Amino acid sequence: MTAFAFDAYVTAALFERSGRAAFALGDGTVRFETGETVEAHPNGSVQCAAPHPSGEGVVTGGDDGRLVWSKADGAVELADARGRWIDAVAAAPETGLIAYAVGKEARVLDAKDAAFARVFAHERSVADLAFDAKGRKLACATYGGAAVWFARIAEQKPQTLKWAGSHVGVVWSPDGKFLVTAMQENALHGWRLSDAKDMRMGGYPAKIKSLSFLAKGMLLATSGANGAVVWQFTGNNGPMGKEAAEIGHDESAMVTRVSGAPDKTVLAAGLDDGRLWVADLKTSKLERVKAEKGAAVTALSLSPKADRLAWGDEDGGAGVLAVAV
Amino acid sequence: MTQQIPVTVLTGYLGAGKTTLLNRILTEDHGKRYAVIVNEFGEIGVDNDLVVGADEEVFEMNNGCVCCTVRGDLIRVLSGLMKRKGKFDAIVVETTGLADPGPVAQTFFVDDEVKARTKLDSVTTVVDAKHVEARLDDSREAREQIAFADQIILNKTDLVSEAELARVEARLRGLNPLAPIHRAQRSNVPLGTILGRNAFDLERIVDLQPEFLNPAHGEPGHVHDEHCGHDHDHDHHHGHDHGHDHHHHHEGARGHAHQDDIKGVSLSLERPVDGNKFTAWIDKVLADQGPDILRAKGIVDVKGEDRRLVFQAVHMILEGDLQQPWKSDERRWSRAVFIGRNLDAAKLREGFEACAA
Repeated sequence: MTAFAFDAYVTAALFERSGRAAFALGDGTVRFETGETVEAHPNGSVQCAAPHPSGEGVVTGGDDGRLVWSKADGAVELADARGRWIDAVAAAPETGLIAYAVGKEARVLDAKDAAFARVFAHERSVADLAFDAKGRKLACATYGGAAVWFARIAEQKPQTLKWAGSHVGVVWSPDGKFLVTAMQENALHGWRLSDAKDMRMGGYPAKIKSLSFLAKGMLLATSGANGAVVWQFTGNNGPMGKEAAEIGHDESAMVTRVSGAPDKTVLAAGLDDGRLWVADLKTSKLERVKAEKGAAVTALSLSPKADRLAWGDEDGGAGVLAVAV
Repeated sequence: MTQQIPVTVLTGYLGAGKTTLLNRILTEDHGKRYAVIVNEFGEIGVDNDLVVGADEEVFEMNNGCVCCTVRGDLIRVLSGLMKRKGKFDAIVVETTGLADPGPVAQTFFVDDEVKARTKLDSVTTVVDAKHVEARLDDSREAREQIAFADQIILNKTDLVSEAELARVEARLRGLNPLAPIHRAQRSNVPLGTILGRNAFDLERIVDLQPEFLNPAHGEPGHVHDEHCGHDHDHDHHHGHDHGHDHHHHHEGARGHAHQDDIKGVSLSLERPVDGNKFTAWIDKVLADQGPDILRAKGIVDVKGEDRRLVFQAVHMILEGDLQQPWKSDERRWSRAVFIGRNLDAAKLREGFEACAA
C-alpha cells in the first residue's frame, strides 16, 4: 500500500486509464501517485472531479469558478465561470464530452472540439450531473426532479422527471433504462425512463452521498447506512418490489463512499471512521483492507480493472492499495 | 471529533448597513478569518477568496413538517466550504433584505452534515434607527427579521433623537424581548461583541446579562417580580388609563397605534417541572402552533435533575439538552420565551405552569 498525507480535504480519488491514481484536493491541487503536484486552482479548492474523457489526467471544477484539466505535466484551463462555483462535473469517454454545473446551468464542452459549447438552463440550481453509458444523454439533478438532455443538441426541451424535493446526486444504470437520484432526505428516487415510472427507495439512516453501479449494471450500491446498501437492477422492473441488501453492516460506523467494479461483483466501501473494506458479493467474502481508524473517508475509487483501490479522507489521508478479492 | 464552525447569519433590510458591517468583517484586523456567503457579489468591494456568492434557493423538505423550508444553496455552499477546512475560522451568511430568516435558520438544524460541521452562532439583524419603524409597519419580513434575531444592531443612531431611539427600542423589544440591542453608527459595533458570541448557548447569555429575559426596569417588556424591590405606583404615569396590571407590557408613545402582529411571551415558574409533562407540552405547543412560533428559548429546572434543561426552537424544530448543573447557591427557576404570531399568553402560561412537578 502507498500512503499519502496531503494536509487538505480529499475531494476525489480517481484513476487514469493507464491505472495511475490521482487525488484532487481541497487546497486546489491535483496530486498523482507518481509524485507530481499540479496547481489546478491556486487559492481555491477542488469542488468536484472526473477522469478526463481521453483517459489521461483529471478534470476538476473549483470554487474559483474554473474548470481545469490536470495532467502530470501541468494544468490547462478548459472554462472560466468567473468566480461562480463549479459544483459538479461529469465526463463521457465514449463521446469526449465534459459537462459541468454552474448555478442553474449545465454546460457541455467537447474535449476534441474547442468550438463546441452547449448551455442547458434549469429553473433551479443543478446539484449533480451524469452522462449515460453511451455519453449521449446528460441527466441533471435539481430541485423538484431531474432533467435529461441530448448532450450535443443546442435547442431542445429536456425530458423532465418530476419528484417533489431536492435531488442532490444522480446516476444512470449502465443499460440506460433507469435513472436514480439521491435526495436531500435520506432516500433515493428512481425512474424507469421508458414510462417515467417512479421508484421510491428509502429507509436510509443518513444522506446518500455515493452511488455506484457494478456487476454489468445488475447491482447498485450506495452509502448512507451502517453497511453498503445494494439494490438489484435486473429485468424490466429494476429494484421495484425487491428488498435491498446491506453488506458489511457495522453498528459503530457509517458507510460514506462506495465504488463498484463495472464488470465484476467486487464492491469497495469507505467508512466515516476511516476504515475501508472490499467485498465480493458473489462469494460474500469481505476483507477489511484498511483496518486502522482515521478521519471520515471522502473519496474512493476502484481502478478500471478493479485490481487497485484509491482512497482519501477529510483530513488529507490518502492511499492506493492492491485489491485481491 | 471535528470542531463545529460558528456561523453568523446577518439579516436586515436594504440600506440598514449590512454591507458596511461585512466590509468591516473582511478588512479589519481582528485575528480571525471569515468565509462570507453573500447574495450580491458586487456590493462587497473587497477582493477575497473567501467571499462566496449564493442564490437564495428555498427548498421544502419532504418530511411532512409544513414549516420545514431550508436554503438548498446554503447546504451546497457550506458543504463546499468544508473542503477548504482550516482556511477560515468562522462563516458569515448575508441574506437579502427581503428574506424570511426562517429557512436560513432551519438549514442549521435540518441537514445532518451542516449540523455536524457548523453551529449557528447567532442570527444578527441590522436595522436603521431612522427608517425601521416604517419598515416594521409595512413589511412582514422586517418584523420577522427582528423576531428571529439573537441580537439586534440598531444602526444610524446619530440620525435620530434619544426620544426616537427609546421609542424604536421599545418597539423592537415588543417584537423580541430576548435579543440584546447594540446601538451603532455606521455599523461601528465592536466585532468581538457580535461575532462568536455563542448566542444559542442560552446559559451564556444568562451569565453575561442576567436581565436578558426581563428587560431593565422601566423598559417595556419588563416583568415585575419580587426582585424589583419597589412598589409599582410610579409606573402608572401614562396619561390614559387602560387598567393595566403589574404584568402589563408598557408600550412607547407609538405603541398603541402600531400594535405589531408579532410579540414575545415570557413565562417563568418557581417550582421544578416534571420532565415528561414539560416534553409533552412543548411538543404539543410546537406541533399546534409551529408555523406561528418563530423562535422559542428557555431554561428549565427539571425535578430530580441536577443539570438545567436548555431548549430552543425555530418553528417546529426543537433542540434541547441538559447543560451545566445548577449551582448550590443559585436560584433554581424555569424561564421560557416564545416569540411569534397569535400567541395566547394566558394559555401558554397555564400550560407551562401545569408542567409543575
